[in-house]
Amino acid sequence: MVPLSQLEGCQKELNVALSKYLKVLEKSFNTDISKAYRNVDFEASTVNNIIANHFYRQGLFDLGDSFVHECGESDETYLKLPFQEMYGILEAMKARNLEPALTWAANNRDKLLQNSSMLELKLHSLQFVEILTRGSRDNALQYARTHLVPFASMHKAEIQKLMACLIWADRLEQSPYAEFVSSTHWDKLAEELIHQFCSLLGQSSDSPLSVAVSAGFQGLPTLLKLTTVMAAKKQEWQTMKQLPVPIDIGPEFQYHSVFVCPVLREQSSDENPPMLMPCGHAVSKQSIMKLSKSSSRPFKCPYCPSEAVASQCKQLHF
Amino acid sequence: LISSAGLFLFSSKSTSPPPLSPLFLGVSHNRARERKKKKKMEMAIDTPSPSPSVSPAPSAAAGRQTRAAESVRLEHQLVRVPLEALRATARTNHRLAEKEIAAVLSSASSAAAAPGESGSAAAVDHLTSLVSRLHGLKRKMEEGARAEELQVQRCRARLDRLAAASAGDDAEWEDIRLKRILVDYMLRMSYYDTATKLAETSGIQDLVDIDVFLDAKRVIDSLRNKEIAPALAWCAENKSRLKKSKSKLEFLLRLQEFVELVKAKNFLQAISYARKYLAPWGSTHMKELQRVTATLVFRSSTNCAQYKVLFEQNQWDSLVDQFKQEFYKLYGMTLEPLLNIYLQAGLTALKTPFCFEGNCPKEDPLSLDGFRKLAEPLPFSKQHHSKLVCHITKELMDTENPPLVLPNGYVYSTKALDEMAKKNGGKIICPRTGEECNYTELVKAYIS
Repeated sequence: MVPLSQLEGCQKELNVALSKYLKVLEKSFNTDISKAYRNVDFEASTVNNIIANHFYRQGLFDLGDSFVHECGESDETYLKLPFQEMYGILEAMKARNLEPALTWAANNRDKLLQNSSMLELKLHSLQFVEILTRGSRDNALQYARTHLVPFASMHKAEIQKLMACLIWADRLEQSPYAEFVSSTHWDKLAEELIHQFCSLLGQSSDSPLSVAVSAGFQGLPTLLKLTTVMAAKKQEWQTMKQLPVPIDIGPEFQYHSVFVCPVLREQSSDENPPMLMPCGHAVSKQSIMKLSKSSSRPFKCPYCPSEAVASQCKQLHF
Repeated sequence: LISSAGLFLFSSKSTSPPPLSPLFLGVSHNRARERKKKKKMEMAIDTPSPSPSVSPAPSAAAGRQTRAAESVRLEHQLVRVPLEALRATARTNHRLAEKEIAAVLSSASSAAAAPGESGSAAAVDHLTSLVSRLHGLKRKMEEGARAEELQVQRCRARLDRLAAASAGDDAEWEDIRLKRILVDYMLRMSYYDTATKLAETSGIQDLVDIDVFLDAKRVIDSLRNKEIAPALAWCAENKSRLKKSKSKLEFLLRLQEFVELVKAKNFLQAISYARKYLAPWGSTHMKELQRVTATLVFRSSTNCAQYKVLFEQNQWDSLVDQFKQEFYKLYGMTLEPLLNIYLQAGLTALKTPFCFEGNCPKEDPLSLDGFRKLAEPLPFSKQHHSKLVCHITKELMDTENPPLVLPNGYVYSTKALDEMAKKNGGKIICPRTGEECNYTELVKAYIS
């Protein structure tokens, strides 16, 4: 029965190799990353809503529609229409057509100015350069007279630069103003448009789902270590109200000022706000009350030799 | 005649190994690839130890490497699932080959044992049919080898993806990672169309396991259709591993079938079914067995709550859930969607009491209702050191950009206030209260 035993031999070798591979995997990877997962009701419809909005935000409209159809959450308000408008403008920009962008910027002129954004001027500048590079100096001048003049008083330097471009009309790439024809300039402007568009919409520039999940990518390893340590100490992870250790994620995720009193090592709150001492150091209100024992006796700053009285301390607002 | 038949038998026997040897080669190729795979994976996991240098640049790169290594360590599911799929395919191929070859050989040897009975022509026909059967087996084994090869390639693609974690474009790697976990979420929730679309448009078909989930879909759909057979077949295929993990899925399926018989009032059939299929589980799950068999007495029209629930429609839904859990476990997947796991971790890291106050900046996901709702049962994050963010520029206020305090107690960064003073001839207007003061009245705060 040679064929059978040959076959069996090969099969055994393959199985051995596969089990070895499996063992290496189990050793090299964390086999259970759901240890830090809290068994709470992570409602599917909320998550689905978030995902649908994410797709629309990223301009993946077909995907968003397909998703909404499949998950059956069709009666929620989605950000579809405004983002379709935005991507329409961006598509046109990619094809070097600035009309939709200019229309939008003009319609939202006041709000853009409130945000101190020079977007409208930048769009007009780029349009001016486009007309210039397409050959017609006269048309460009005409355009400048119509559209750039309103900005002249506020942004003299910019206008001067653009006027100088007229001299270099057919050789802008070799001029000191080559940046106006570079594609990175267009990309940056598109980015600023996205930023302003979202801001006017009351939305963040980045998809909140991307942000939250990125924070999770960075924070999960620490959380898993924490749950392992807590399990070893038999402490209760599922019901804890605050983490005992900080989770280090990048500075881009810091949206709020957090003041930690250097004396009491506690986070400040409305009831215990940060206070500035005359020497320039800051501690929490409770620390000051403890240090001064009564409100008119001077106390020494924990950081430097200077003394202060509680009434001299000012509440800080970050 | 007999000797010529015997010769024929020997010659056909000698032709049987060659059709199989290319397959052996194929299998040994697989083994060589498996070894290469292992080496590659070890390289992907190993972090090059950071060089003990003083300058900051290498340590930033080393920090990046450790972060990448930590990210890679979390991706067990990514590499484990194709391995399990490969094992399952290999198992099926082996079983098929063993069965066929054993059948052919026993048939051949029985023909050799009784040669004279039906004459040499019949013997030749018999052997020819065996040879064509072996050819058929060869084709099937070649197909099987191709399927295994594809799965090995998928394993390699996963390892390549992990190796790329520390090299090159971080933002792109993370973007793909988000897409991968979105596909995982959609597959688990049975949104197969959108999952496939996303995988195709992002070109990540090799990094997701759509086919594995589609296999499970067949069982899930059948269960929703109140058919037990495909689920039982799945249990039979994976019998040894389910037994190792002490799974009671098969038991629950049998119980449901029993209850359906009781519902249909086939009491005698139900009893004989219980005797055959439920009794073996009595030693380990007696209480449950007793409870369900009691439905014989209570019947489907009962109002007794304990037993009424067993006749409910959603028993089938809980069977689907139970199947999903066993399925995930078998393939080394997490029981919860990856998206939920990472989202919970992220929300915990982002959650501060300040997020729920009035002026939460729009850039913080926790300014949105949906995220707030999800974060509600999660713990707050903690910080040991002050981290201050300028209200105007949203940048960190640290020693390079220290905080300055206005007379009214409001604090902004040096960068922001310098620029404001420059534009307003030394005048400072607090953006939040409107109060004015002079740049010279600002006081530096020393906060670490």
